[in-house]
Amino acid sequence: MSETVLPAAQQIFLDPVIWGVVIAAAFYGVFLGAMPGLTATMGVALFVPMTFWLEPLPALAAIVTMVACAIFAGDIPTTLMRIPGTPASAAYADDAYALAQRGEASSAMGIMLWFSVTGGLFGALVLMLLGNQLARCASWFSVAEYFWLYLMGISCAVIVGGSSVARSLLGLLIGLLFSTVGLSAVHGQARFVFGQPELFQGISFIPAMIGLFGLSEVLRGSLGLDRVLAPSAAPLQSRSLLGPALHLFPTRILAWIRSSTLGAMTGILPGAGADIASWVSAAVSKRRSRTPERFGKGSTECLADASAANSASLAGAWIPALVFGIPGDSVTAIVIGVLYMKNLKPGPEIFETQGVLVFSLYLIFILANLVLLPVGMLAIRTGGLIMRIPRRVLLPVIVLLCIVGAYAVGGSLFDVWLMFGFGLLGLACERWKISIGALVLGMILGGPLEERFVQTLSGGDGSLWAFVDRPVAAGLALVCLLVWLSVALSARRNRLLPAGESDA
Amino acid sequence: MIFQRHPVSPQPDLLPVRLPPGAQSGSLLTWATVGLLLLLALGCSAEQEFPDQPISLICPWSAGGGTDRVARQVAAQLESELGVPVNVINAIGGSGVTGHTRGAVARPDGYTLTMITVELSMLHWRGLTSVTHEDFAPLHLLNRDPAALFVRADSDYQSLDDLQAAVDSAARSGKKLKASGTAYGGIWHIATAGWLDRRGLAPDAVNWVSINGAGPSIQELMAGGVDFLCCSLPEADAVLGGQVRCLGVMSDERIGGFEDVPTFKEQAHDWSIAGWRGVAAPRETPPERLRVLSDALAKVTATQSFRDFMAAAGFDLSLEEPAEFAQTLQRQDRLFGDILTSEALRGVSGEHFGPLMFPAIIAVGLVVALLIVSVELWRERAVPLAAVPGDSPTEVTSADTHRSDSKDVRNRLIYPAAVALAVMFYIVASEPLGFVATAMLMLAGLLLALRVRPRIAFSVAVLTALVTYQVFSILLRVPLPRGFLEW
Repeated sequence: MSETVLPAAQQIFLDPVIWGVVIAAAFYGVFLGAMPGLTATMGVALFVPMTFWLEPLPALAAIVTMVACAIFAGDIPTTLMRIPGTPASAAYADDAYALAQRGEASSAMGIMLWFSVTGGLFGALVLMLLGNQLARCASWFSVAEYFWLYLMGISCAVIVGGSSVARSLLGLLIGLLFSTVGLSAVHGQARFVFGQPELFQGISFIPAMIGLFGLSEVLRGSLGLDRVLAPSAAPLQSRSLLGPALHLFPTRILAWIRSSTLGAMTGILPGAGADIASWVSAAVSKRRSRTPERFGKGSTECLADASAANSASLAGAWIPALVFGIPGDSVTAIVIGVLYMKNLKPGPEIFETQGVLVFSLYLIFILANLVLLPVGMLAIRTGGLIMRIPRRVLLPVIVLLCIVGAYAVGGSLFDVWLMFGFGLLGLACERWKISIGALVLGMILGGPLEERFVQTLSGGDGSLWAFVDRPVAAGLALVCLLVWLSVALSARRNRLLPAGESDA
Repeated sequence: MIFQRHPVSPQPDLLPVRLPPGAQSGSLLTWATVGLLLLLALGCSAEQEFPDQPISLICPWSAGGGTDRVARQVAAQLESELGVPVNVINAIGGSGVTGHTRGAVARPDGYTLTMITVELSMLHWRGLTSVTHEDFAPLHLLNRDPAALFVRADSDYQSLDDLQAAVDSAARSGKKLKASGTAYGGIWHIATAGWLDRRGLAPDAVNWVSINGAGPSIQELMAGGVDFLCCSLPEADAVLGGQVRCLGVMSDERIGGFEDVPTFKEQAHDWSIAGWRGVAAPRETPPERLRVLSDALAKVTATQSFRDFMAAAGFDLSLEEPAEFAQTLQRQDRLFGDILTSEALRGVSGEHFGPLMFPAIIAVGLVVALLIVSVELWRERAVPLAAVPGDSPTEVTSADTHRSDSKDVRNRLIYPAAVALAVMFYIVASEPLGFVATAMLMLAGLLLALRVRPRIAFSVAVLTALVTYQVFSILLRVPLPRGFLEW
């Protein structure tokens, strides 16, 4: 062990090039994450040409740092403008924004920063200690198992969701229905496209998400522009940035371990990344919470757990990528390409032939998360300046950001139309308290869920037994049933309580 | 301008919050604006030779995949060859329909190129698009990847004959073998079906599990979800090295770098098929621009670093110049036309589980959920709390400011209407006017509509538009709409 540890540590901590690259990548990542529409994946893809001129280690260091910082930075516009900077922040957008409306933006962002950093470190430890063993789990999962996993994933939206089970379910189903627009991945046939060539690729969910959360909030905010004078525009208090987080942390050690573990496990599974991780951990955290009614209305527990989970998932995604060469998420798909470019072949043997490199990679994860702490604080301070801009001036600028963000995803004005339409839909959802978060999750997971559903059916020649005839699949099916049963029971219990419980 | 239909006299006292220190001194802002505009004007010199602006390279497949990797390598090298940025745009989805269509209908000015793939020869035969190779001016063929069949290393099948016998007996016993490698009707599915057809078996003697992409299919093979796999040789070998066994590659000769893998021909299975990738421009692109692009591509593909990249990634380099590539495209089109319209394969096209089954299930659920929610809403109507129309749940203070005189209602609707108009204006105007002008007009109009003082409104509009343009288009290379002013 020590013959890899020492050289690796030397390579990482004593090399000024690595430090320079990591710090530059941290700023780049923070910026990407904070810009709505620019995701971590896109950032890494934009960066790939630059890796041609870098050594393998700095190249990997840049990618790791960039992504870790981008996933946290996505929380900043989520808190300040209710526009999730990356899809990973969508699960707790309402909580973060509600806290900001109460003038607690800085402590909310401090909590998210602290738990992102510690969650990321936890993920790095999991990668370091268990990576090789855990990778084997991924090979148990065939399409049937994934079907149950995705079903559980969408159930999370109903658990986390807002005012009532029926309304979360409604949001979810609307989202699922939107996800079926376009050429179906399984059949290659067009559905609900109404002759529009742009709709063939389906409704891309990033413009939809920007519209649902961001533009609808601008529209709502403009409604009350003349009446509400500077709503809670309390500037960021200078001292309380990390204070509340450090205060919260000792009381939530167990929850932190639970969420980070969940996040790392989600990351390991191919096809489920940071966005799913934050949903799953928010759902679990609500089930275990003593104050579940505060979820969706500014729960710091939700923020802490979900931030820890989405950051922890990032390291998890590298496990199948390194061991099998199978990407755990879209970022590691690009990473595998970069590895090949550098003549590094992922696979079980990489741990032996490139032991020092692999261990250096672990250390990079730790370094990246440590750098995130000061850079993140700087970003929060900078972002906080937004709070000092008058709302009349800020709202139009946010409109422009929404437009550019929607356009940036695919370079098509049709996506701007989509963003606009979903902005109006978001306004309607707010009016009838239909969960927007559930709608977004339905759109994210609808495609893969349907794919696994049809794949399992066609693999089994149409027999429903195909869903449960493998032991792991049967076990997951059972868990799924139990989750739904408990949701139904608690919904029933709430119904029996006197009215007024549904919204506080 | 659309916003001047409701001119609002600026009311300085209505500006609620103190301004950031810089904004207070309007003159400073104005000077900064003038300075930036001058800088921008200096940047735009007179008409130049092609190319003088960024080029987009459309990749119809997702970031991180094989095609994307090739596209990004080509883009990076093309950039240093041509001296302008070359940006990869992943226009994905619809089994490649989206990207190929966008590439074909793009403005034929040489600034939009497309990484075309074998699917271009297949999609229109399947009735998924009307775009064919004739909509493109081919530039260069880059590589060909022959199909290959894989089983798990611990599988009993040692040769193609073993596998064929197993497929046959399984189909007879009513429990067909499962295979995957790509989506239903994709290139590797056609390769497998064509092989079965050539060997006298029904093309649907195997249950094809429609999985998008080789990576997830390989995982399915490892999890035991499918019995064998068809994809290109480097795709599976790159991923799993010793954990899979390749039974044969569907080419006439063995592939460089994989000399130990036998061909189908050697095993007396007369069948070969390959995927390919190349670069093309829209058909109407002026010939002199095509020549510039093609010369640059020829230089790129001749470099050692490009060859090294292709070799390292395992892609079988196969270069063809425009004229030769055009012939190849015609041959490919006929070949896939024959395969896809053949009697045997037409039977394959029907999946048992129609594309509307899943949406139907969702729709039923949606109706049920709507009913429950309507009942809930009807009940809440009785509770007076819910009676404040249009108010957000977070605006707790709104209860005491709640007035319903007509002026208030009108005011409340003007602002959201202005926001909506601004977005629509952007959508309509950005293509002809270009990003910078549109964004400035939109912001200025919206700021004025929200009753911001004109001087501040104009300065903010100009500054924000320019900074956004600099950051997105120049720094991050995210393409923004360009109009007749070229920015």
